[in-house]
Amino acid sequence: MTQPIIELHQVTKRYADNTILSNINLTLESGKFYTLLGPSGCGKTTILRTIAGFTDATTGDILFAGKRINDVPANKRNVNTVFQDYALFPHMTVAENVAFGLTLQKRPKSEIAERVNQALRLVQLADYGDRAISALSGGQQQRIAIARAIVMQPQVLLLDEPLSALDAKLRRQMQYELRDLQQRLGITFLFVTHDQEEALAMSDEIFVMNQGEILQSGSPVDIYDEPINHFVADFIGESNILPGKMIDDFQVAFGGHQFECADAGIPVNEPVEIVIRPEDLTLTDLAHAKLTVTINTQLFRGDYYEIAATDGLGNDWLIHSVNPAEDGDQIGLTFRPQDLHVMRFGEKEAEFDARLETYEGTEDDRFDET
Amino acid sequence: MKQKFTQLYLIVVFIILYAPIVFLIAYSFSQGDTMTNYHGFTWRHYQTLFSDSRMLAIVANTLLVALLSSLIATLIGTLGALGINRTTKRVTRESLLTLNNVLMVSPDVIIGASFLIFFTMLKIPLGFGSVLLSHIAFEIPIVVLMVLPRLREMSASMLDAAQDLGATTRQLLSQVIIPFISPGIFAGFFMALTYSLDDFAVTFFVTGNGFSTLSVEIYSRARQGINLEINALSGVMFLFSLLLVGGYYWIQQVSQKRKQRKRGAIS
Amino acid sequence: MIALTKRKTWLYFIPYGLWLALFVIAPVALIIYQSFFDLGHHFTLANYSTYFASATYLKMTVNSVWYALLITLFTGLISYPTAYFLHQLKHRQFWLLLVILPTWINILLKAYAFIGIFSQAGLANQFLTFIGIGPQQILFTNASFIFVATYIQIPFMILPIFNALDDLNPAFINASRDLGASNWQTFRRVIFPLTLPGVKAGVQAVFIPSLSLFMLTRLIGGNKVITLGTAIEEHFLTTMNWGMGSTIGVVLIIAMIIVMTLTGDQKPKGGAPR
Repeated sequence: MTQPIIELHQVTKRYADNTILSNINLTLESGKFYTLLGPSGCGKTTILRTIAGFTDATTGDILFAGKRINDVPANKRNVNTVFQDYALFPHMTVAENVAFGLTLQKRPKSEIAERVNQALRLVQLADYGDRAISALSGGQQQRIAIARAIVMQPQVLLLDEPLSALDAKLRRQMQYELRDLQQRLGITFLFVTHDQEEALAMSDEIFVMNQGEILQSGSPVDIYDEPINHFVADFIGESNILPGKMIDDFQVAFGGHQFECADAGIPVNEPVEIVIRPEDLTLTDLAHAKLTVTINTQLFRGDYYEIAATDGLGNDWLIHSVNPAEDGDQIGLTFRPQDLHVMRFGEKEAEFDARLETYEGTEDDRFDET
Repeated sequence: MKQKFTQLYLIVVFIILYAPIVFLIAYSFSQGDTMTNYHGFTWRHYQTLFSDSRMLAIVANTLLVALLSSLIATLIGTLGALGINRTTKRVTRESLLTLNNVLMVSPDVIIGASFLIFFTMLKIPLGFGSVLLSHIAFEIPIVVLMVLPRLREMSASMLDAAQDLGATTRQLLSQVIIPFISPGIFAGFFMALTYSLDDFAVTFFVTGNGFSTLSVEIYSRARQGINLEINALSGVMFLFSLLLVGGYYWIQQVSQKRKQRKRGAIS
Repeated sequence: MIALTKRKTWLYFIPYGLWLALFVIAPVALIIYQSFFDLGHHFTLANYSTYFASATYLKMTVNSVWYALLITLFTGLISYPTAYFLHQLKHRQFWLLLVILPTWINILLKAYAFIGIFSQAGLANQFLTFIGIGPQQILFTNASFIFVATYIQIPFMILPIFNALDDLNPAFINASRDLGASNWQTFRRVIFPLTLPGVKAGVQAVFIPSLSLFMLTRLIGGNKVITLGTAIEEHFLTTMNWGMGSTIGVVLIIAMIIVMTLTGDQKPKGGAPR
């Protein structure tokens, strides 16, 4: 395994009685796109600031390429930040902003000019060097903020919710561009966001955070398909979360019935929660139904109908269907065993991973025919 | 109808505001010796003024005190504003601001009288030194008040960004903070200058016998009655104020234009 | 920001700190200290007992406050409509500049101008003669003192009211109209309450100086009106009774604190309603 570029070992941050970060461990490898994802106030920006050097960790170590950098001031760290409000210097032109860090390093004028031009080309604003910051649109300011950081050739680029001030269309475009930029530069990006779609779309690996803790880390697909607990399942994507009970390995009961599932290694009769994504539910006639629900309302979302329904036990269901349903109708729902995901209460990420080890492989054989 | 009333009201107010000034300057060109009955045009009073060596020395003193005190007050006030802006505790900041504003709201006589006691106790001789110190003292708070809002406008992330790009504390100050707040510093200097030129009461208390500024001189001459040399002086001072205001707005316009030129490049 | 900026930077704060100690705290302390000493430099409470026992001093104080109130009232009555109308003009910033410009003329020159205007054969009496009233003694009367003081203070009242009007979100006015309020109702129920902080700032800027305008009482009022400021100046520079002067100074400081408290912004601190 190669040397990780950034490591956090048991980092905590406290202000008086408030714990902002508790026991954060994380490892970032070179050249990957990482995302810290969580609701506002979960501590994700604080992690970014401890890595950048704007905030001290109360305890724990921050390592850069294996060396402890807790006591290295921000201006001596080889990481750069793109700020949420861009933080461009209003009294300087675009080029002066981008050149700022290089000027402080007293680089030769020709080198500065060339690197500034190169950085501006990278963000597709090559001709904008002479403009005032106030003359740029939000999207352009965003790009300049990125150019100003990457011109420093950092090994790690920290991005603090950089897209949050942009409109939806521009944000989607910037997602592609950021991903593209990261791959071209080949450096590590650590991206902070509260927008799960953004995180799923761009990241190699996501850290889901809540209340100062990292709850789960993994690839976007892993986290979407196998959320570790109620919070993660609810925060990422839309989901139906129902109380249930483990009957046996690969057998779970909920909604008054017993179903085949893809999870094992949980003690028999343990109360659990079951996650089913709305797009995994299929409308069917009552004869083929695994569950029967009554349609309450539906909204047309363009590429699908979002249907709200209630089952006989009073559980609410959210269904994404290509075909519309009729309000008030009784209708059948069906799903595949691997569409169910069983979550244990209070299970930690390490325990979850260990349990998965015990039955993985068998799972793939079982449902091959479907 | 309503429009008419509004206009009439404003016209009357402006006439009242400017009548005394126009009256004063008009009579500086009158051949008589009193401010009654205009006696025809003359430059005589201006000639008297410009050959009055005592008056010219006082003008020089006044300008020297104003410039010197404003420069020093701007320096100290800016540093003070930086300090106040750095305080994190709300209580500390509020009490510093309250103390800062004491001299802003105190009546001139209180400032003058208390400074007089202060200088006498420290055995500082009354004259140029005491006047200069007093002017610096009452100019500092206005500089702080002009600089602070600019400092507050400065976002914390901008300072983080500068550090992130490698700026040391010194570079942070010289390349980011000072350029950013320079409009505030400039306005502070300017306000300090006008406070100094305008002050009468404080100077009157702490000036002693040997030293005089324009305000004090005008007061003592006005108590002796009408003297059209003072009218001529007010003409000169009005022109000077106009130039100062004009210059101030011109500089603001230029910096605005510079911004706009850059902005204009977009289309 | 961490360690990087914490160190040594407090050195920059020293000149300002010295100023606070020597020119803000010390002088106030000294004037209070001095008020407890008599002419022979002995500690005494006599200054205060003299002040509160003497009809002359008390009458002077009441007079001074009364004149300051009148000046503030007249200034406000003239300034609010001026600021309001001014704010409706197209080039309002330019007109505001014209209001501020006279404040750049030395106050003594303006007072001096009125000596000319109000003199026996001056402009004002020529006008009175012209309309048939005949010449009057105008200079050295209480009325002339109030007139000139009001004249001098008007811009200082207009400015904060204008700024308050400028800060007012026009959407509030539209909302009020939308809800059926007439122009007058909109003014009384929306505009005036929301610009009250400007009026209070104006009162602060006018009332306190009006208590202490000693040069106007000398030049225009002809020593008929004795304000607190005049009394202080008299004691410090003429009779050299600094103890008594300081005592009146302390009274003036207390008056100032009362005015500041009454007109201070009553934003509920900590959200507790009062």
